[in-house]
Amino acid sequence: MAHATSEDTGAPPPAVSCPLICGPIALVRWFLPRFPHAARAALLLLSALLIAPIFNAANPLGMGWILTADGRVGIPRVYESRLPQITVEQAVALFDSGDALFVDSRDERDYHKDYIPGAINLPQRTWVEVWPAMQSQLPRDRTLVLYCYGGHCGLSTRQAKRLLAEGYHNFLILDRGWEGWTEAGNPTHRHPEGKER
Amino acid sequence: MQRALHSIWRFLNHRIVLRIVGLGLGGLFVYASYDKVTQPDRFADIVNDYQMLPLVFINAFALVMPWFEMVAGAALVLGLWRRAAGLILAALTVAFMVAIAQAEIRGLEIECGCFDVSGMSATQASWDLFVRDLGLLLASALIWRRA
Repeated sequence: MAHATSEDTGAPPPAVSCPLICGPIALVRWFLPRFPHAARAALLLLSALLIAPIFNAANPLGMGWILTADGRVGIPRVYESRLPQITVEQAVALFDSGDALFVDSRDERDYHKDYIPGAINLPQRTWVEVWPAMQSQLPRDRTLVLYCYGGHCGLSTRQAKRLLAEGYHNFLILDRGWEGWTEAGNPTHRHPEGKER
Repeated sequence: MQRALHSIWRFLNHRIVLRIVGLGLGGLFVYASYDKVTQPDRFADIVNDYQMLPLVFINAFALVMPWFEMVAGAALVLGLWRRAAGLILAALTVAFMVAIAQAEIRGLEIECGCFDVSGMSATQASWDLFVRDLGLLLASALIWRRA
């Protein structure tokens, strides 16, 4: 008995291969019965991947997925404009005018080697211990310039977020930190040997 | 000795014991993920401190990884796909152990970011935590292989 072919009927011939769709489907059909727990784990991970962006969009502390425009990580969208950065040149101008108080966010041992003259030390890594005592020394009516080790050390940005939560709004973050300040040949204060820790 | 080990193994494989371990482990990971999920910016800061990922991936990692913990932990607590959840938690724990070990070897003095990212009770990444994670890995592997 003769069967009608697609040529006989004039219908387009069926697709012989569909690697883009059939390939993954075949892979899933092979994978599922052999590794059911791994497949379920993949489904759980997929559900997390779906929930994360929805929650991030609704979270007041949600942030961009990549980086901010100036290349910083860990900055909530609502804080982006409230964590202003300044260049070394702008910091030097503030330093010369004497209008700003420099705040060193680095560890105490590094501050005790050398620091920007006049800077006070508010080590971010030990914030919880030092903040109660430091709170009274940090003026609210003066511009604070926060700096840490370098451009991507993050401690000064983290400290700025803390200060925002404590009700401080008048601060600036030195974008290249201590590294940028010293590379430009700006003045530093070195502790006398006896005080060095 | 062999009989004692055999008894312990039988005890660990008991249905009720596995359920209790699953509940404890799942609850622990849900608890651990809560701070990270609600304050992803602070978790991103801590991930940055570990110096393992390129800057460009840090935010995305900090936004997604805690949800892996949350979903797998919740599945374990609810008794849903427990072996799959155990597999995820075992893989996550291995990743945490690698992160802690490399931080210790490189001498990085950083917050662990394990349960608290607000810095209010910050724990330093250390070999003690590595050993604690080893216990979590064994519990996760037990759930994955035997639940």
